[in-house]
Amino acid sequence: MAQSQILPVAGGRQVFTHVKMVMASRRRELGAVLGLYFAATTAGLIPPRMLGSIVTDVQNGAAVSRIDLLAAAIAAALLAQSVLIRFGALAGARLGEALLATFREEFVDGVLGLPLSVVERAGSGDLMTRSSRDVNSLSLAARQGVPAVLTAVLTVSLTLGAVALDSPVLVLPCLIVVPPVWAVTRWYLRLAPAGYLRESASWGVMTDSLAETVEGARTVEALRLGQLRRQRADADIRACYAAERYTLRLRTIFWPAAEASYVLPLFGVLAFGGVAYLNGWCTLGEVTAAALYARALVAPMDQLIQWLNYLQTGTAALSRLLGLTEVPADRRPGLAAPDDSQLSAEQVSHAYVPGHDVLRRISLDVRPGERIAIVGPSGAGKSTLGRLLAGVHGPDRGRVSIGGVPLIELPLEELRGQIALVTQEHHIFQGSLRDNVTLGYPEATDAAVAGALAAVDALGWAEALPCGLATQVGSGGIRLSASQAQQIALARLVLADPHTLVLDEATSLLDPRSARHLEQSLSAVLDGRTVVAIAHRLHTAHDADRVIVMEDGEISESGPHHDLLVTGGAYAALWQSWHGK
Amino acid sequence: MRQLPVPDPGTPNLASPSRFVLWLIGRQRGSVLLGMVWGSSWMIAQALVPAVLGSAVDALAGHRTIAFSWDCAAVLALGVITALTGILRHRMVLTCFLDAAFRIMQLVTEHSSRLGNTLSRLLTTGEVVSVGTADVDAVGGAIDITGRGAGAIAAVVVVAAILLARSLPLGLIVLIGGPAMTALVGLLLRPLHQRQQRYRDLQGALATRAADIVAGLRVLRGIGGEQAFSARYRSQSQELRRTGVHVARTESYLNGAEILLPGMFVTAATWIAAHYALRKVITPGQLVTFYAYASFLAVPLATLTEAADSIVRGLVAAGRVVTILRLEPEIAGPADPAPAPPAGATLHDPASGLIVARGELVGLAAENPAQAAELADRIGGYRLGEPAASLGGVPLTDLPVGIVRERILVAVNDAHLFAGGLTGQLAGAGQVSEPDVLAAITAASARDVLDTVGLDGHLAARGRTLSGGQAQRVRLARALLTGAEILVLVEPTSAVDAHTEAAIARNLRTARQGAGTVVISNSPLLLDQADRVAFLRDGVIAEQGTHRELLARSPAYAAAVTRGEG
Repeated sequence: MAQSQILPVAGGRQVFTHVKMVMASRRRELGAVLGLYFAATTAGLIPPRMLGSIVTDVQNGAAVSRIDLLAAAIAAALLAQSVLIRFGALAGARLGEALLATFREEFVDGVLGLPLSVVERAGSGDLMTRSSRDVNSLSLAARQGVPAVLTAVLTVSLTLGAVALDSPVLVLPCLIVVPPVWAVTRWYLRLAPAGYLRESASWGVMTDSLAETVEGARTVEALRLGQLRRQRADADIRACYAAERYTLRLRTIFWPAAEASYVLPLFGVLAFGGVAYLNGWCTLGEVTAAALYARALVAPMDQLIQWLNYLQTGTAALSRLLGLTEVPADRRPGLAAPDDSQLSAEQVSHAYVPGHDVLRRISLDVRPGERIAIVGPSGAGKSTLGRLLAGVHGPDRGRVSIGGVPLIELPLEELRGQIALVTQEHHIFQGSLRDNVTLGYPEATDAAVAGALAAVDALGWAEALPCGLATQVGSGGIRLSASQAQQIALARLVLADPHTLVLDEATSLLDPRSARHLEQSLSAVLDGRTVVAIAHRLHTAHDADRVIVMEDGEISESGPHHDLLVTGGAYAALWQSWHGK
Repeated sequence: MRQLPVPDPGTPNLASPSRFVLWLIGRQRGSVLLGMVWGSSWMIAQALVPAVLGSAVDALAGHRTIAFSWDCAAVLALGVITALTGILRHRMVLTCFLDAAFRIMQLVTEHSSRLGNTLSRLLTTGEVVSVGTADVDAVGGAIDITGRGAGAIAAVVVVAAILLARSLPLGLIVLIGGPAMTALVGLLLRPLHQRQQRYRDLQGALATRAADIVAGLRVLRGIGGEQAFSARYRSQSQELRRTGVHVARTESYLNGAEILLPGMFVTAATWIAAHYALRKVITPGQLVTFYAYASFLAVPLATLTEAADSIVRGLVAAGRVVTILRLEPEIAGPADPAPAPPAGATLHDPASGLIVARGELVGLAAENPAQAAELADRIGGYRLGEPAASLGGVPLTDLPVGIVRERILVAVNDAHLFAGGLTGQLAGAGQVSEPDVLAAITAASARDVLDTVGLDGHLAARGRTLSGGQAQRVRLARALLTGAEILVLVEPTSAVDAHTEAAIARNLRTARQGAGTVVISNSPLLLDQADRVAFLRDGVIAEQGTHRELLARSPAYAAAVTRGEG
């Protein structure tokens, strides 16, 4: 979808710079984590070496006390290792959690700072994915992936070091594992991310289809779509199976290749060490220790390969999270203050796709206190004009201003105090009822909140809620009905108190059962304000001071209701048929 | 590889969750068994390595070159066998996992379709959807673990045999001490699980908070309050961070203990074994074998713990699936259905007095719109326990539900728009030609949707990419295309502007020529086009006539449809 391209993704370099910057501020913690892990891994390498010595001593028939001493050394090394691991893991988690919190908070601040025009266009799908899936991938990578990879890398390299200390000639056979594993891993990591992404997406599609079948169960029954839904499920399953089989094919090559390679160090050390021992170049204990080390290489290499995949996903997630910071600002706030509350559009044209003007040279003066109704067929450009009049974005050509200042040059806070756009959309936020009403005016007193609710005729049910204004509503709290939600939206406006309102079909999606009731709430909000209403219902137009009829991006008729009836244009015809005349 | 999905998932055994899982296994008994065979070979190959290693050390110590060469070859061969049987096992159990998961998806989809309206009333979408996400994973997981589980048992048996053959006391130490250590570490894990649960809960709450901000972003950016939301998110995020560190503190002790406890056990076993070796009871190579097994044994034992856990979780999930599959439709239809009335029969609702004959376009205006909605449900055969509406004199309750749905369609505004192509969406279950589709789109004044989406274009689920008015007109076009004998349109133009509404009203008659149509609305533009308008007051048809007649005659009607203006 074209919508997904609206929000940018940060490039590799930006991600790197950003991570480096964040790390630099925590250099000391990072150093401590690395130091502890290094020490712990080193301690863990002592036991095989000691066992090797025991083997040599047993072979040479050494004293019992010597064996006891070596066993005590193993125990001491283990104790040291476990204490170091304990502190290392804690320090690592502290650092990881802190970084994670920083990244997700920066992301949410980025979301909250997105320019109005982007929010209006981008839709919520992409942002939703970023806030859920990407934050989770990053969390998994940071909390488990980074420590696992760090441990694995340290273990592999230090184990090789231990082999070198034990018997330098035996390092070489350990290294023969590197070329095949390197090659096959590179191949795998090149193909795997896309494959696994497709796989998880195909599961998502399958679940979404099931959700639709369930959510639309009544529709499925009414339209007898059962057979189609089953076919749809089968098609989703086929796609999912294909995606699963693809990644399975990748694993079918990668796993045996990697797993078979893991045995090479052990085989090499044993064969090469055996020859060396038989020729008297090293002791049996040294061969034993090196063989045990070679065996110990398997687990961390496996870990490393497993987690590299997650690290890749985590990095991709981070680049999407950081991408938000690259959205350019859409306002050019100036210092000019409006002289009065006169809203004007002058010669305004606007296009979303270059060359396809949705609005053509529209001029409109809205007198303070005036009520304007805009009517016209869908696609005439009503909503676009509404957004421009509310200052959501600037016009391509012409200018929309209030008190002589272009809306786009007003700081957002200032603009909100002047004009508000009210659409069909309403949302009850997770939080108390009070929080929901005071969005635009957090300092509001309880009395003011109650007043606002009373104005929209919502105080009755609000006070009847279990904890009154403090009742938790929205997701996880008490569910409010659509009309209650709409009343909350209106109460927010009463508190925010802008002098001009642009209503874009604000009540059109309501159940007709409650629409009438809400219109009374609405009229309380509109009282004393300038109103531009994009109307579905002709009675709204009838009540307005001025009716504007739009067709094809232009104003085709304009004037008070009765004047338009006398003129006898399209509006008059519509009105007549509405009244059955 | 097997062909999936299977054409018919079959009839599951719903007697109990375990029967259900056994039924799933029974569909693919051979594959599950083969998975266990590969799993066992895979683990046994790994379990033999320490023995071979010990034998190699002894061969070296005794300068037996040939034996040593064989041992080296065996190490290599066991590595290759491990790699091969490992992937064979994985392929086999993955197929079994998918077979089970896909079968569950098919069963639940099929059953949801069969339950229809009942499902929406009894369960939330979330409950059913969790089947598609978590539960298929858990049930599949219980089947998946059979391969590795069987392998773990085989490995323990092989290791026990080898150790006991070498030295009875040393073998017993390892075989008793190893499981004891595993149990001890498992015991330590328990409190950690609870803390992790708290972390996950907080993580979920934080994700919900972020989703909430995103979902309400337009509102928030329109009216303000970003500071408060940022602060609230930050404090929740910091709480999660603190909990994370708190969990990590417990976890870090465990990380240490996981090294220390088994390590100390291995050390003790090795120390004892070394004394045996010094006394020549065992060879140096056997000492190496004991050492390696003392730590190796933790792997199959952990797998067994995991298997127990997977099976329990799988059964719990299977229980949820079984609960859904056991639900029965509320309106089951009569056991002994009456013969269906002939085509073009008249619909009669005795409770309100509404009659709709073939070829009629009836407008239904209501003083109280809630009662109109009840009436719609009644004439659609969705309500029980009231005098039923009848079609051609046959009460709807005497007809099979399928027949009722086929002949009477109640089109409501919350009808679901499914993700998929526009044509597919509109065609629904029927076979329709392109001219039909275009005619329905035109009748519903939905050309603008066609122009932006295209006939083959994709619609998002719930019509998310459409405006409210567009979605409503797509629903209308879909309802018109079914050509249902009786079509009940509930508020079909509530989200449409007056210009478009007028156009739709004019088109309705042509589109529904020869069939019975009820339009429930208080809009004068629609009612004016009806052959007859019925005015519903206190649940009964109080007055009938044309829109203009009623407007002139009945002040109550005029008030209801013009909202007291004009």
